[in-house]
Amino acid sequence: MNDSGIVPETRARLIRDCERIIGADGVISSPDELRVYDCDALTLFHRCPPDLVVLPTSTQQVVEVVRLCSAAGVPIVPRGAGTGLSGGATPQAGGIMIVLTRMTRILDLDVPNRMATVEAGCVNLWLTKAVERYRLFYAPDPASQAACTIGGNVAENAGGPHCLKHGVTTNHVLGATVVLPDGEVVRLGGKVSDAPGYDLLGVFTGAEGTLGICTEVTVRLMPQPEAVKTILAVFRSVEDASNSVSGIIARGIIPVAMELLDRETIKAVEANVKAGYPLDAGAVLLIELDGPRAEIEAEAVGVEAVCREQGCLDVRVAQSEEERVLLWKGRKEAAGSFGRIAHHYYLQDAVVPRTRLPQVLREIEEIGKRYGIKIANVAHAGDGNVHPMICVDRDVPGCEERALEAGSEIMRRCIEAGGTVTGEHGIGLEKREYLRLMYSPADLDVMHRVRAVFDPKGLCNPGKIFPDGEERAGGAHSLTHAAAVVGA
Amino acid sequence: MSVTTSVIDDLRAVVGAEFFLTGEGLAAYRLGDRRPHAVLLPTGEAEVSKILALAWEADLGVVPWGGGSHQSIGNPPSRYDLAVDLTRLNRMLAHEPGDMTATAQAGIRMADLQRRLGEHGQFLPLDVSMLERVTLGGVLATRLSGPLRCRYGTARDLTLGVRVAHADGTITKGGATVVKNATGYDVTKLYLGSHGTLGIILEATFRLYPRPEVEHGWWLAASDPATAQAFANRILGSHLLPNRVELLEGVAGRACGIPGPGLVVSISGLPETVQGQFVDLDRMADEFGAAPTEIRDAEAAWKALSDFPWSNAAWAGSGTQALWRGGVPPADCAKAMQVIRQAAPRGVEVAMAATVAHGALRGGFRAEAPEALVQSLIAAREALVGLGGYLVVLKAPEAARDTIDVWGKTPTGLEVMKRLKTAFDAKGILNPGRFVGGI
Repeated sequence: MNDSGIVPETRARLIRDCERIIGADGVISSPDELRVYDCDALTLFHRCPPDLVVLPTSTQQVVEVVRLCSAAGVPIVPRGAGTGLSGGATPQAGGIMIVLTRMTRILDLDVPNRMATVEAGCVNLWLTKAVERYRLFYAPDPASQAACTIGGNVAENAGGPHCLKHGVTTNHVLGATVVLPDGEVVRLGGKVSDAPGYDLLGVFTGAEGTLGICTEVTVRLMPQPEAVKTILAVFRSVEDASNSVSGIIARGIIPVAMELLDRETIKAVEANVKAGYPLDAGAVLLIELDGPRAEIEAEAVGVEAVCREQGCLDVRVAQSEEERVLLWKGRKEAAGSFGRIAHHYYLQDAVVPRTRLPQVLREIEEIGKRYGIKIANVAHAGDGNVHPMICVDRDVPGCEERALEAGSEIMRRCIEAGGTVTGEHGIGLEKREYLRLMYSPADLDVMHRVRAVFDPKGLCNPGKIFPDGEERAGGAHSLTHAAAVVGA
Repeated sequence: MSVTTSVIDDLRAVVGAEFFLTGEGLAAYRLGDRRPHAVLLPTGEAEVSKILALAWEADLGVVPWGGGSHQSIGNPPSRYDLAVDLTRLNRMLAHEPGDMTATAQAGIRMADLQRRLGEHGQFLPLDVSMLERVTLGGVLATRLSGPLRCRYGTARDLTLGVRVAHADGTITKGGATVVKNATGYDVTKLYLGSHGTLGIILEATFRLYPRPEVEHGWWLAASDPATAQAFANRILGSHLLPNRVELLEGVAGRACGIPGPGLVVSISGLPETVQGQFVDLDRMADEFGAAPTEIRDAEAAWKALSDFPWSNAAWAGSGTQALWRGGVPPADCAKAMQVIRQAAPRGVEVAMAATVAHGALRGGFRAEAPEALVQSLIAAREALVGLGGYLVVLKAPEAARDTIDVWGKTPTGLEVMKRLKTAFDAKGILNPGRFVGGI
């Protein structure tokens, strides 16, 4: 089970105290129900149920539970919808899981200031839907936006296909109410920008729940663009497609999204949702332009010119909203479609400089051939964020090991190319060892110091982000085989 | 603790006698009534590291120095033994036009940086004041911004990664050199705006934008502040993509060559883009009873707007001056400016501008007597705090600084900030006492 070291008497007391704070209907303690919370969307690496799950409905309740944990020396595991892909919301070794999904209200919609304040459990897409009628939207749109929460987005500094132009979560968060690991509440930022002091909000965003728990978030809303144009460009090869990406950027055109799908991905998507991607293509680029109508018309001409220069087979502009939605459906369901071609796959998340994309995708193909495994690629090509999906057939002996090794080699190539270990999924449990590929011990020491300031007892989401020799593994895989092996 | 001869000798040996200033050379590095024992001009990060290691060992107060253009911000240091002038670290280290990223050393002057980037048709949209003097490191350490933040965001949004020298001489990096990164803590955000109290920024990587093909600007006269605000809200809530939306007040307008109070809006991009948006802007102006007037000498106007209130020649007249910046919710800019003007004592010249999109206000007061300046600053701060905001004094005469706290109210989370300071600089040698809460 779990290995938090909480003795039964302590657990019983904690259950009683939590029920007193939140009410019995907000506390989950039966083993069967706890199993539901033993991982996030990273299902096969490490599973460990918490000792207890609480579902608070107010900041004050969160404060009291956190104080309990601090006094008892019990780990806290913050969680939103549990859609994360790196094990950020998976307990390393038990503890009290604080799930924010009952705190979903939109507290303030300030249209003149183009800002909203929501409870941390508010679902990402609900916010955009709620402000649609004011011709506003919330820009960061991860693929999981129909389920993921704003609080979770803050923890992971979530991105999405449209963040190429509009930025990621940290560019849109203006303020947060944070419960620190000792139970103190600080209100960081707000509707007023650039107040003097250290940017605590900036370091808290993307800290993967290790510095505290946010219960309320104030975000920036953006006005809807005048027009949107979605283009599907079809290429003979991944190389032509990725060269087009560079070419478009070099012309000074910044599309709102540029998504690359290769042949394997296209096959999977078409078998699943029939988005209209051509099966004989080497790769497609899904390009979206948004902005003033005159601007996107001019940009579309430029985009088409670049694609044709790269010898594209076809350029298709979506003629209706339905067509546009269908093209995007293909992209958004790419990961889910993989169940059609592989029982399991290992999904990676690395970023390389845009100009190195053609080279890196070539290397990924070569690695796949060398290891004798199928690798499909989906990429937020505009910002060099590649998601190689390494197919794993666990019935074939040695396949899983080869997949992990291939993945490791891909990661190293990306870093050698000047990239980074994760663009949007975060480190979580999964990529801890890779942190050392990017940062020296001195660099990591700075981060440890920050963590020690916020969480001197080390109780807030322990085991996440940092490679740590003393961490208790708890799962079937050893730390050096950190992998996101996802079941179909 | 004490600047012994042996420490002085060791420090001089690091940079060489030519780049070790004492005596007359110290005058330019005065802060308040203090000047350092010595100024060092290192040539690269290795020397910076050695200097700090020595300073740490001897517990010396160190002030990082760039162009010196904005050193009036903050308190004078509580102890001032050394100034470390970074302007010899002034190289562009990398520029990848295809990736739209670049890396430069902290001591490069912003104007030089922009010229280099311009060679490939790109720019860093940080249109801060005194570009020929201010350095990249200075901009990042103070997190200064300009009107272009309306469209492009601030240093916070544009900086991808930094290399920093710590109080004990250790050098570390934070962030990455690519536009998207979720690896570990975003420590870059801590260094920005930290006024050199957590470390000395040595170099930074940032994202770039293409220089637009054309840019046009218009003045939109407004009959009263409320109308101007409503018009600004309308523009900012629409599909238009302005570069700048500035609310200017009287003297500020004249300082920038603008005929009168109202809004200044600029739009850039392809010619068809700008033309198309202007048609929409014109139609909106109708709704508010205004007519856009094209700004003729636009380049000069943008420079003046960026330089305001620090270095505008148009501030004629005698008297002493105080400069400030502040923040309110965006929709309250005009109201804030109105209250500030009404609250200023008679005889005080008031000039203000607002970057409406972010509720970022800036301005200055000019008066014969420092007391009048102090009154104006206190009243202005009250006005902004009343709207949920704040005011920071950027520059003021000595006499004024004795009666008003330049930073204003204690920020929330100050205790956490103090613990961070201790974690990064336990001896408190970097810019001691200059920051909020006495940090």
